[in-house]
Amino acid sequence: MRVDIDNMEVTVIIVMLLSLSEATNIGDMSARSKNRGKGSMWWGIAKAGEPNNLSPLSPGVPYLDSSAYYGTLRRKQRRLARENPGLLDAIAKGAKMAINECQFQFRNQRWNCSTRNFLRGKNLFGKIVDRGCRETSFIYAITSAAVTHAIARACSEGTIDTCNCDTHYKGRPQVFANGNNAAAVANVRDFEWGGCSDNIGFGFDVSREFVDTGERGKSLREKINLHNNEAGRWHVQSQMRQECKCHGMSGSCTVKTCWMRLPSFRVIGDLLKDRFDGASHVTASNGGNGRNNNKGHSNRLKHPRMNSIMSNSIHAKRENRRKLHKYNFQLKPFNPEHKPPGVKDLVYYEMSPGFCEKNPKLGIQGTHGRHCNDTSMGVEGCDIMCCGRGYRTQEIVVVERCNCTFHWCCEVKCDICRTRKTIHTCV
Amino acid sequence: MPGTILENLSTKKLSVLLSVFLLSQLACFLLGLIAPSPARTQTILATVCVDEDPLSSRDDADQWFTRQCRKTVNLEDPKATDGLDANNLVFVAEMPLHGLDYSRWQQNLVGILQIDMYYQKEQKISNPLVELTLESRLAYSDKTSNGGKTPWKYFSHAEEKRYMNCSFDENANRGEGYQYECTMVSLFELGSLFHDYYLLNLRLPYNSTSNKNTALGRIHDIYLHTIYMNGGFTKVWVSLKTVFFPILVAIMTWFWHRVHKLNRTPVLLEYMLITVGGTLTFLNLPIEFLSLFFEMPYMLLLSDIRQGVFYATLLSFWLIFAGEHMLIQDTAERNTLRKYWKHLSTIIIGCLCLLIFDLCERGTQLVNPFYSIWVTPIGTNLALAFIILAGISAGLYFFFLCFMVWRVFKNISIKRSVLPSMSQARRLHYEGFIYRFNFLMLATLICAAVTIVSFILSQVDEGQNKWDETMDLELSSVIHTGVYGMWNIYICAMLILYAPSHKQWPSDVACTEGEEVEFSRIPNESTSNEISALTTFSTKANLD
Repeated sequence: MRVDIDNMEVTVIIVMLLSLSEATNIGDMSARSKNRGKGSMWWGIAKAGEPNNLSPLSPGVPYLDSSAYYGTLRRKQRRLARENPGLLDAIAKGAKMAINECQFQFRNQRWNCSTRNFLRGKNLFGKIVDRGCRETSFIYAITSAAVTHAIARACSEGTIDTCNCDTHYKGRPQVFANGNNAAAVANVRDFEWGGCSDNIGFGFDVSREFVDTGERGKSLREKINLHNNEAGRWHVQSQMRQECKCHGMSGSCTVKTCWMRLPSFRVIGDLLKDRFDGASHVTASNGGNGRNNNKGHSNRLKHPRMNSIMSNSIHAKRENRRKLHKYNFQLKPFNPEHKPPGVKDLVYYEMSPGFCEKNPKLGIQGTHGRHCNDTSMGVEGCDIMCCGRGYRTQEIVVVERCNCTFHWCCEVKCDICRTRKTIHTCV
Repeated sequence: MPGTILENLSTKKLSVLLSVFLLSQLACFLLGLIAPSPARTQTILATVCVDEDPLSSRDDADQWFTRQCRKTVNLEDPKATDGLDANNLVFVAEMPLHGLDYSRWQQNLVGILQIDMYYQKEQKISNPLVELTLESRLAYSDKTSNGGKTPWKYFSHAEEKRYMNCSFDENANRGEGYQYECTMVSLFELGSLFHDYYLLNLRLPYNSTSNKNTALGRIHDIYLHTIYMNGGFTKVWVSLKTVFFPILVAIMTWFWHRVHKLNRTPVLLEYMLITVGGTLTFLNLPIEFLSLFFEMPYMLLLSDIRQGVFYATLLSFWLIFAGEHMLIQDTAERNTLRKYWKHLSTIIIGCLCLLIFDLCERGTQLVNPFYSIWVTPIGTNLALAFIILAGISAGLYFFFLCFMVWRVFKNISIKRSVLPSMSQARRLHYEGFIYRFNFLMLATLICAAVTIVSFILSQVDEGQNKWDETMDLELSSVIHTGVYGMWNIYICAMLILYAPSHKQWPSDVACTEGEEVEFSRIPNESTSNEISALTTFSTKANLD
């Protein structure tokens, strides 16, 4: 046994976890030939809490036993989850938040960020993820941003206890695994002496550890995934707003204390959507390699030496955390006249597939039957949404809530109105 | 004739003394380096508990909702809140989070609410100033010896009104699902952090007849930002005080002993010096140690008063110091405080205003930690009136002070033009003490400038003070210990340098006939009235 534990129960759980990890490793191996999306398996935990087709859980139970999550997680992710109790719930919440936000941002677009109930995470958004296109870059960015946000939020809710005094997270990240007592004592002393840092730091670091695992290869696709993950996190980080309070003599500003306020996730979704609209098309460092990468990534493991360099740099980052460019690579714009992408830019290297027609291979549903707006010239307009196929116009009677009044906390009093509405549906 | 030590000290001794002061100043700054920032925050997201029987729990003072309450609800989910009433919701915040506990070294606790309100089409906020009615209850608990917690005990309870300024940008393609931009709301201030754990149970009752929370929108989250002093900072701070306290007491005793050895009653400036020293000793008195053993909610008020008294006497001292070296009055009467009533009244009015304001705000907080004077319009106007009045007196004071200092320097420069006609011995002597006087004026100016600049610096975005995240340097604590040490050293220097000297004037013997007139005292003026030859000198300049 690698871990010395005196408690039998814990041992049993660890054994179970280890065996689980073996099982998923095999799963990983088989998936490896198909590659891609390797690091995005964890998306599956977004749906892990939901009543599956197989096991209809009662909706009142918010958190199922975490073993259901483990199937979708990599070994390092499982380790993180073990070391930080409550982390998985936060990540699951984050993943759900990401899906909601993605669907909100894309509600009027041809691609509407539809998800499917797959426990195997990378298929959650459909096979579109196999392509390195804009949509994929948005998915990666929003999920990693959501995880950062959700972890920071869970910290201030008190559901993750390891975020206290996170300055010590960088120094001895393993300490929570075994030396719980010593760490707790040290934490209490730190808290008395100098308080604790902002939760966003913890959220950022853990998100980086959790989300970025499995993207350590050298291929363009993995670099792009890393870049987009980082972009998502940086958006959360940079949207933290500082708030201050003066509490010196007689409330004067001789002593002023500031803290960072977590933004609403909608703000981050909006920003990422803007970045999506202006995403940078990038290419590999040299032309030949880029073409190679565009075709497929089965040759990704050809550079074991480079792999080790990458992982070295990952270890080195613990010393000076949250450097601007943690992963030392610079992506090249496809058009050499364009500026190279910045940390907050979303990047892609493949063109998006057409979303007009159903494409089972990529899991695209097509825009048949989608509602559209006949007066709009934008993406939600019928001309664009229906891809020129034309649309049906119906007049239906809708029963709606109207003239609503709201009372804090939870009371919305509405009239029921019947209105005639014209609906346009793509053929 | 007895002078002060400043005038009679040899340049060598003076420079030794100065370097000692500078070294201790450096030590104070270095002490700030090991201290963490003065205060820290912890943000706590309130858990929303469901109180199924709000009527009975209202009367039951010992029913507390904790994070482990039976039923929690997610306000983001409209379905989850179906059938719930505003009185059913209890926002629970346990302080501190993460299984930590407060130490008494952490001194005080400030709680600020951040209410995340979401926009709804059904209910647009017509008035950006949202009135909140907060029914808050605080409980405390302590660690037991076996690591457990004592049951929650009632600490305080109040229903208070607060105002929150909210805005929403309806353009920019925003609508449902977006958040209002709302200001923070200060909730409570605890003057002492005596217990290990605190628990806040907050309700936002709705009542349309008494107009409670009628303007409130859909709230998803309530965050409580708690600010506490850092234990490490308190330790460094208190040790600084503990070191300065005996030193200052010793210097004051020595000073007073010297004054009493003279064959005269102490003059005004000496009284002022000893008063400033006394108030600083009062400020240095490390009564913070007592707060480790006793619950002292009045610590905040007391430290405000201690600081206020010290600043008031220091400001008065400057006025009188400048005045005594200019001699406003030409009569030979003994200078008393009454001569300075015009100038001192600015300080007194200013300080009284601040004292009344402080007593209103922090005095009431002794009884009700949720109280804030800024909530009601009358209170706000009153508080503003007091602060503006204090500001006006401060402005007047600085006008008086600058005017007086300007006149002192004018006198000195007039006299300086006469210097070449004096004998060399006297000229050197006078040049020496003009230089020293200027030097001390300069020191005062530097101290004041350093204080002002450093506090402005600490106001500049705190985030910018951190040059690098890996650097644990806290500029604000360096500023606090440095400035505090600086004023202590300044007062020590004043007490030492302005203590009466035992040395006799060496030039008195050597003085020639021709210059006798120049140095003879003004008629009717008694020796005991003079604190220094410099004052004599300036008087003469005035008469000239």
